[in-house]
Amino acid sequence: MPLFMGIDIGSRTTKGVVLKDGEIAASHLVDSGSDYARAAGELRERLLALAKARAEDVAYTVATGQRVSLPFVDETVDDIRCCARGMFRWLPSVRTIIDIGSQSSQVIRVSERGSVTNFVVSEKCAGGSGRFLDVIANVLRVSIEEVSRLSLESQHPVVFSTGCAVFGESEAISRVAEGISKEDIAAGVHEAVAAKVAALVSRVGMEPGCAVSGGGGLNAGLVRKIEEKLGVRLLVPPQPQLVNALGAAIMAAEKARAGGPANPARR
Amino acid sequence: MTKVVITADAAVRASAVRHTGPEHRREAYRVMEDALSQCGLSFSEIAYIVATGYGRMNVPFADRQITELSCHARGVASLFPNVRLAIDIGGQDAKALKIKDGRLVDFAMNDKCAAGTGRFLEVVAATLGLKVEELGPVSLRATKKVSISSTCTVFAQQEIIARLSEGVAVADVVAGLHDAVASRVAKMAGRLRVQPDVVFTGGVAKNVGVVRALEANLGCRVLVPADPLLSGALGAALLARETVLEAIAKGKPVARAERRLEETTFFR
Repeated sequence: MPLFMGIDIGSRTTKGVVLKDGEIAASHLVDSGSDYARAAGELRERLLALAKARAEDVAYTVATGQRVSLPFVDETVDDIRCCARGMFRWLPSVRTIIDIGSQSSQVIRVSERGSVTNFVVSEKCAGGSGRFLDVIANVLRVSIEEVSRLSLESQHPVVFSTGCAVFGESEAISRVAEGISKEDIAAGVHEAVAAKVAALVSRVGMEPGCAVSGGGGLNAGLVRKIEEKLGVRLLVPPQPQLVNALGAAIMAAEKARAGGPANPARR
Repeated sequence: MTKVVITADAAVRASAVRHTGPEHRREAYRVMEDALSQCGLSFSEIAYIVATGYGRMNVPFADRQITELSCHARGVASLFPNVRLAIDIGGQDAKALKIKDGRLVDFAMNDKCAAGTGRFLEVVAATLGLKVEELGPVSLRATKKVSISSTCTVFAQQEIIARLSEGVAVADVVAGLHDAVASRVAKMAGRLRVQPDVVFTGGVAKNVGVVRALEANLGCRVLVPADPLLSGALGAALLARETVLEAIAKGKPVARAERRLEETTFFR
């Protein structure tokens, strides 16, 4: 039984999914670190071990995310299409995907068949990405998971006067000095990121159902703030970080069936 | 930074600068004391005081507050009568002022994003392990400039680390950073239809690398005053003088705030 592998190289985390007979046989994620190629190589080894398979059992591998030349990859596909394909597999009713990564956010509109009809990407400003949350978590000396949890317990969220992560960092330091609680500062930064994400959504419009993918989907505080801004319930797939990798693996299976150009260097 | 300029008639008698820090009121007091002791005047001898800048409401001893836009335009025009565009890049924002016959006619500004401001340079200098004053001289050793994000300070920091790990020379990275600031500000100023003379003020104007990058991006010469930090305070002093002269010309008493120079604080 041939296997199909999808690898999503994110700026912070590299994710992978192995499909066997149309089902997920293995999935895993590793820190991307500073050497993307190395992280992807390690991830592949781990995926093969988890799937109890050898390298030659993998019929086709699709990579997405950061552009890195990898000897074991047959083809690269843009992350927009992979995201749409992965989400269609898990939540086929979704028409608007909000993908929040550690360095960029994107909003993707998909048709009832799961194909991309429109999208918008924000990658020029840390303010609308998970990065702003990282910066403030660092000021508060808590983990990114903790900053999310704290935000849900806030009574009076602070209002950040800025959407800029650098100016926001200074504001957070000032608020800490004034004795404002961590909960209220954490809620404030989630509010600021959610405002940027909502503005991005308004650029391509929204059709229900809406879902969040990427690492942002793991942040319940952020998802709730975006729900408030957009006035809709947001769906979150079981493993939001793996959506693009799943989409890449599905693409790998399709490409192999269509007899796509497998990487000759791999053979 | 908090700056004070004292003028006698229209000539500068004393000037002083201090880090603003979190205690705006206390630093305003201290820097005023510095300037007074420099010219040997007492507070009561100052006829009128105008406060400007984003902390202008935190100068308890000022008679009047005027926006930094008006004060900068006035200060720059007094130093460079032919100025048509003044670019001011401070620690937290960047402004472009369109000036005609010494008067402010239009402006553009960025105070929403750290990119294209002095803050960008502070952050990247720290990433490079350099002092912000060192950036200008270091950039003069560049043989080429590296392309760096002009839209986000946080992402620029990451790009610096990536370029350094690829073995790119620090000087070339710094030249790229200066170009990132200059291109961002030049784009903003472009909305005002740039015409010479162009004058560059604010703390960032002390950086020769940014001056050159701005000249390259604007395609014209850029003039820098001898002390680019002081043009706003100078404008405030000149507007203070004009307020008094106007009152005298109209035969009215000068409306002064009844305030003393004393050390105050926000915090109790």
